[in-house]
Amino acid sequence: MRKKLWKTAAVIMAASAMLLTACGGAGENASSQNAESQGDTSSDTATNGESGEDLSLQKVKDAGKFVLGLDATFKPMGYTDENNEIVGFDIDLAEAVCEKLGVELVKEPINWDTKEQDLSVGKIDCIWNGLSVSPSREETFNLSEPYMKNAMVFVVPESSDINSTSDLAGKKVIVQNGSTAQDILTESELAANMEITSIATNIEALQQMDINLVDAVFMDEVVAQYEIKNSDKAYRILDEGLAEEEYAIAFRKEDQALRDEVQKILSELKADGTVEEISTKWFGSDITTIE
Amino acid sequence: MGIEEIKKVAEILLQYVPATLKLFGATLLFSIPLGMIVALLRKCKIKPIEWLVSFYILIMRGTPLMLQVIAIYYAIPFVQTSDSLEKMPGFLQTLIGLVDIRDAGYMFNAVCVAFTLNYAAYFAEIFRGGIEAISKGQYEAAACLGFTKTQTFFRIILPQVIKRIVPASSNEVITLIKDTSLANIIAYEEIILKAKQQMQLYSSLVPLFIAGIFYLISTIVLTTLFSFIEKKLDYYK
Repeated sequence: MRKKLWKTAAVIMAASAMLLTACGGAGENASSQNAESQGDTSSDTATNGESGEDLSLQKVKDAGKFVLGLDATFKPMGYTDENNEIVGFDIDLAEAVCEKLGVELVKEPINWDTKEQDLSVGKIDCIWNGLSVSPSREETFNLSEPYMKNAMVFVVPESSDINSTSDLAGKKVIVQNGSTAQDILTESELAANMEITSIATNIEALQQMDINLVDAVFMDEVVAQYEIKNSDKAYRILDEGLAEEEYAIAFRKEDQALRDEVQKILSELKADGTVEEISTKWFGSDITTIE
Repeated sequence: MGIEEIKKVAEILLQYVPATLKLFGATLLFSIPLGMIVALLRKCKIKPIEWLVSFYILIMRGTPLMLQVIAIYYAIPFVQTSDSLEKMPGFLQTLIGLVDIRDAGYMFNAVCVAFTLNYAAYFAEIFRGGIEAISKGQYEAAACLGFTKTQTFFRIILPQVIKRIVPASSNEVITLIKDTSLANIIAYEEIILKAKQQMQLYSSLVPLFIAGIFYLISTIVLTTLFSFIEKKLDYYK
């Protein structure tokens, strides 16, 4: 009698095991056409380490695709527009690079919190989304030459009585979680006197300030300027910023050939005026630092 | 935000309703049968199996679903790029090599597996509670009437168990429709992720509220459905 119950259980188990594999199977079937190339890629990675030969550029050219990772919420560098299209300054620039490279640009939305993992496991080929240069990022990534300057600034409501960084003592300041703004602010001397909170995005941070939950937002000047220009809210930027920093493109450590090629193309685009054209479209003038 | 803009946002969000419902449906489809198996194994007389199952339930209920999604999503690509791949048996190497992490289906499958494993643990405990709620007298009466153990379980115990687990399960199902938003931690394109992107675009919280309406409607539908099921099962009263 017991045996029968076990038999039934075993059948149910086998059936659901099949269901589960079916669930996983869909992707495997779909990718079986890619299986060969995928196999190649993994063995490439292996040979890459052994012989020291850098096949990163060749891999992108073979695939015909350059996968750009971005969180698609960073206005105006790379964001999703009203028609659900990913657009922005970085995207236009990357399109121009890909055209020269002769490959298709794939815009892959990622979560900014796990960008390092997405890049290191090869889900994306680069992070190109107003990524600020920092010592720890120089360690983790293979960064391009900085292509734009950016300062970190405090944004306060127009009516606020905060006029300088010294007025910030005892105030609540909010930053984007996982951003360089967060690192810079928490490590600054000001941090001891203020209450710092963090939130997922800069826009939510500004909204927290709108409803008086916080007194100031510490964020990228490029974004702050764009927000002030394009929203009807009355914000003001304090004259004293904290750190000057720069934006760069992040590649995997070992992908030197790919990084160099993109860098070379950027210089060519600067020379033929394409960079100026794109920068003027988004910022009104050429504010890039590409040489 | 004006009416025109709200309309535009709603249109975009509507395109991602299927993605949310797909995850919801697939999770239910796989986690309920798996939960039943887990519940039966939990009551297994072979101690090591019972321990193993209890440990599984502990991990699934004891860690955030968000973490489980990340862990499962990155597990395969990490193995693919690490040196430990070469130390694995050949068939595992080929199997892992077959997975294309850039394939659009991979992300859904990973999220689906994480949600299924997590929800199966919760369902298992609901089912176990249902089975244990049936008094011993019923088993004894069934034995007196000459029912075999299998017959007793499927004809007498199970119908009563189903009646008892419906309210607790409906709770779990309604939680699931809202939990699907956790998948956006790995940028699975569902309604909340899109709402967040639109929030940035318009510098407004309105898109999130529009997404909220979708969840509210789904919950109303599910609640109605479950009260209908409860009524249907409300015999012998």
